[in-house]
Amino acid sequence: MMVMIAPEHFLSFLSDQGFSLASGVPCSYFKDTFTSLEESTEIYYIPSTREDEAVGIICGYFLGGQVGFLILQNSGLATIGDALTSLAQLYKIPLLMFVSYRGLEPDADFPEHLVMGDVTEDVLSAYQIPYWILEEENWKSILHQAISVMNDSSLPVCVLVKKGVLSQ
Amino acid sequence: MKGAEVIQKLDEYLTGKELIVSSNGNVSRQVYTLLPQPQVYLRGSMGLPVSIGLGLALSQPKKKVIVITGDGNFLMGLSSIATVGSVQPPNLRILVIDNETYATTGCQETVSSALNYVEMVKGMGIKSVVSIDLTKEKEIPSDLFDKFVIKEELQVLHIRVEIDDINLENIPWHPIEIKENFLNR
Repeated sequence: MMVMIAPEHFLSFLSDQGFSLASGVPCSYFKDTFTSLEESTEIYYIPSTREDEAVGIICGYFLGGQVGFLILQNSGLATIGDALTSLAQLYKIPLLMFVSYRGLEPDADFPEHLVMGDVTEDVLSAYQIPYWILEEENWKSILHQAISVMNDSSLPVCVLVKKGVLSQ
Repeated sequence: MKGAEVIQKLDEYLTGKELIVSSNGNVSRQVYTLLPQPQVYLRGSMGLPVSIGLGLALSQPKKKVIVITGDGNFLMGLSSIATVGSVQPPNLRILVIDNETYATTGCQETVSSALNYVEMVKGMGIKSVVSIDLTKEKEIPSDLFDKFVIKEELQVLHIRVEIDDINLENIPWHPIEIKENFLNR
């Protein structure tokens, strides 16, 4: 069994890549990450009230010359459609999004995630957003690829995070 | 008094160093036409000007950031005011031009007329809030923007105005040009 990515290693990697702000809405798949984010001195974290608000914050931060990333549950993908298409994509603003991949397996306790779980990759494809699925083994290489595509295209990219990868 | 006249008056108080984010539709067109260029003129992004202004204010803490938004836009992104109230960026200020309508799409009414902006915004943690009704006024008070532009304090200024009767042309810059001109200013 793989060991989850240590949140402090994950965040210091992102800090080394130049990210100094994070904003979004939590998911239990990111529980440990958010604990580290709230304590981080390198990355300032703003809890947003909605996921589209976080897109606005990170885009505004970029227009001021600094780079941040977005963190949200895949339910929030349904909230950020206009913020992606009429802000980040329209103005060509690079945006790294970490999205939890919930609803992959039938779960009687959490039926609210099932439909979005089914369509998550279709939604990203429909919005023409390149995406990767984060894995414990070669996570730095996956993030390097995502960040490289984001910078080369100056557009949003997405990293999907399954259960257990970034939090117990 | 109309929204464009308020924006025109604001120009007299600007030093040229302020960074402005304007909400999509008529407000962005007026800001593009009446205030120093370039600024962040939003096209879509309905409901997001305050969020974008917050990110910009955090990114450029030595610059004053002014968000100029209509009431429809402000109300769509109302929860972002709560976030601003939590973060308290002293270099951010928000000007709400309130004509109680979605003016760009043909003056359909918003819910704005039912609201008390001072109580609402103060309740979200922003101490410095001024609300003024200029719908019946022919002159803008001479000190209206003194504190708003100069004081290093998070502020919201809400101004009720009459509906503008002139619709300006669209901003000629493509959004990518808007971004590049702003980044290279």
